[in-house]
Amino acid sequence: MRAQFVLSEIWIGLRRNLTMTVAVITTVAISLALFGGGLLINQQVSQMRQYWDERVTLTIYMCTEISNSTTCEENGPATDKQRQDIQSDLESMDQVKSVEYVSAEQAFKDFQDRFANNQAMIDAVRKGDLPDNFRVQLVDPTKYQAVANEMQGRPGIDTIYDDQQVLEQFFGLLDGLTTAALTVSFVQLAAAALLIGNTVRLAAYNRRKETGIMRLVGASNFYIQLPFLLEGAIAGLIGGIIASGFIVAARFLLLTRIQQWFQFDVTLSTGSLLSVIGVSIILGVLLCTVASFLTLRRYLRV
Amino acid sequence: MIHFENVTKVYTTQKHPALEDVSIDVGKGEFVFLVGPSGSGKSTFLRLVLKEEKPNKGRVHVAGKDLARLSNWKVPHLRRRIGCVFQDFRLLPNKNVFENVAFALEVIGKPRRFIRKVVPEVVELVGLEGKADRMPDELSGGEQQRVAIARAFVNRPQILLADEPTGNIDPATSIGIMKVLDRINRTGTTVVMATHDAAIVDSMRKRVIELEEGEVVRDQTRGVYGQAY
Ligand SMILES: Nc1ncnc2c1ncn2[C@@H]1O[C@H](COP(=O)(O)OP(=O)(O)O)[C@@H](O)[C@H]1O
Ligand SMILES: [Mg+2]
Repeated sequence: MRAQFVLSEIWIGLRRNLTMTVAVITTVAISLALFGGGLLINQQVSQMRQYWDERVTLTIYMCTEISNSTTCEENGPATDKQRQDIQSDLESMDQVKSVEYVSAEQAFKDFQDRFANNQAMIDAVRKGDLPDNFRVQLVDPTKYQAVANEMQGRPGIDTIYDDQQVLEQFFGLLDGLTTAALTVSFVQLAAAALLIGNTVRLAAYNRRKETGIMRLVGASNFYIQLPFLLEGAIAGLIGGIIASGFIVAARFLLLTRIQQWFQFDVTLSTGSLLSVIGVSIILGVLLCTVASFLTLRRYLRV
Repeated sequence: MIHFENVTKVYTTQKHPALEDVSIDVGKGEFVFLVGPSGSGKSTFLRLVLKEEKPNKGRVHVAGKDLARLSNWKVPHLRRRIGCVFQDFRLLPNKNVFENVAFALEVIGKPRRFIRKVVPEVVELVGLEGKADRMPDELSGGEQQRVAIARAFVNRPQILLADEPTGNIDPATSIGIMKVLDRINRTGTTVVMATHDAAIVDSMRKRVIELEEGEVVRDQTRGVYGQAY
C-alpha cells in the first residue's frame, strides 16, 4: 500500500469535485448539528429529570384568612392541631420520604430569595400573602395522586400542588424539541447520504479513465475504491467537526440559558458533551463511508 | 499460455455470436497476429483472456488457470500477469511519461524504490530515453504508444495483448512500434496482437490466426495477412 500515492489521489479527487464536496460537507454538518443538538437536549432533560426526581415535592398549602377555596371557607384557617395531625399522618405514610413544615415567614423569605433580582415580583407579594405549607418528598414521585387523594379535602388544607406536574409540562416541551430535532436530522442525514451517493458517482465518472487503467493493470478492487471511500470519510469527518462547533455552541448558549432561566442546578458534564460530539462525528464518517461504498458497488465493477 | 476450447461468446444485446466455437492454443513465448475485418471478434477474444467478459460456452485457460473457476477477487492477480495496449493509448493526460508508467506499479502497491529503478529501464527499452518528463500531449502518436507499451510491460507480464496498437499510427512509425513488440517478445513474453494492418503482418512472418464473423478460418505459422493458400 502506497500511502502517499493514495493521499495525493484523494487530494486531487476532492479538489476536482470541490463544489460537490462543499455541498456534502455542508449537508453533513447541518444534519449532524441537528442530530447532536437533539442528543444534547435529550441528555439534558434526562439529567434534569433525575435531579428533580430526587428533589421533587408535593406542596400542601394550608388555609389562611385569605384562602378562598370551599374547604377553607367552611373550616376557617388551619389550626395548630390540624397542622400536627397532618404532619404526623404524612409521616406515617409509606409513600412519604420526608415532610418539612414551612412557616408563612419562611415561605415569604424563600420567595424573596428566589426572586431577589426581580423587584416587580417582590413588590407584588406582601408578607402574609403566602400561606404556610408542608413540603412532602415522596419515595416514588409518580405516586403523587395516591398521597394527594388521601389529604385532599381535609380540614385546614387549601390546595395541593405537585411540582412534578409543572416540570413535566416543561420537560414535555423539551422532549418535543428533541423529537423534532432528531426527526429533521434523520431526514437531513438521508438527504446527505443521497448527495454523497451522487457525488461519488460523479467522481467515479470523472475518474473512469484512471479506474479503467487501474483495473487493467490489476489493481485490487480495494485499492481502486479506497480513494473514493477515504474521500467520503474525510468529507464526513470535516462535516462532523463543523457540526461539533455548532454542538458546543448550543451547549454553552442554549442549554446554559435554559438552566439559568429555570434556576436548575444541573449542568451537562463535559463527558456527556464529548460523547455527543463523538457519536456525531462517528455517525458522519460512517454514513459517508457506507454511502460511498454502496454507490461504488454499483458503479465500479470489476 | 492461452488455451481456448470450443469457446462461444454471444453478447446479450446481439443475435449473432461474437465468437463461435473457437479453439486456439497459444504457447509460451509465441508471437501471434489475430487478423480479420472489423467486427470479426478480435477484441472479444482479448477481453475473454482478461476475464472482462465470460464465455457462454467452452473453456478459457490463461497461464494454466481455468478462468471459469477463478474467483472475482483473484482477477486482479490474473491481470497483473497480462499487459494490455490499445489503439487509443489510454494514457493519463495529467501525468508525465514516468508517472504514467509508474502508475501501473503504484496501483498494485509496489514500493517506491522498486518503481524508481524499473521505470527508467522500461522507458529506455521502448526507446523513450530522455523523454521521461514529457506530458502525453508533447509526444507524437508513436511515442504515446511506446509509453502505453512501457506501462503494459513494466510489471514484466507473461502475456502482452495488443488491440490494433498501430491503428492510429502512420506506417513508418508503426515499424518502430513493431520492433518494440518484437523486442518484448524476445524476452520470453507471449504477444497476441489484433490488427488489420496487412503490411505489418506480412513483414513479420509470424503465426497468423484469422477470424471471420467469430469463427477461426485460418491458423498459419509464419503466415501473411492475405490468404496464401
Ligand atoms: N460490448 C459489446 N456489446 C455488444 N456487442 C458487442 C460488444 N462488443 C462487441 N460486440 C459485437 O461483437 C462482434 C465482435 O466485435 P469485436 O470483438 O469488437 O470485433 P473486432 O475487435 O474484431 O472488430 C461485433 O459484431 C460487435 O458489434
Ligand atoms: Mg476491435
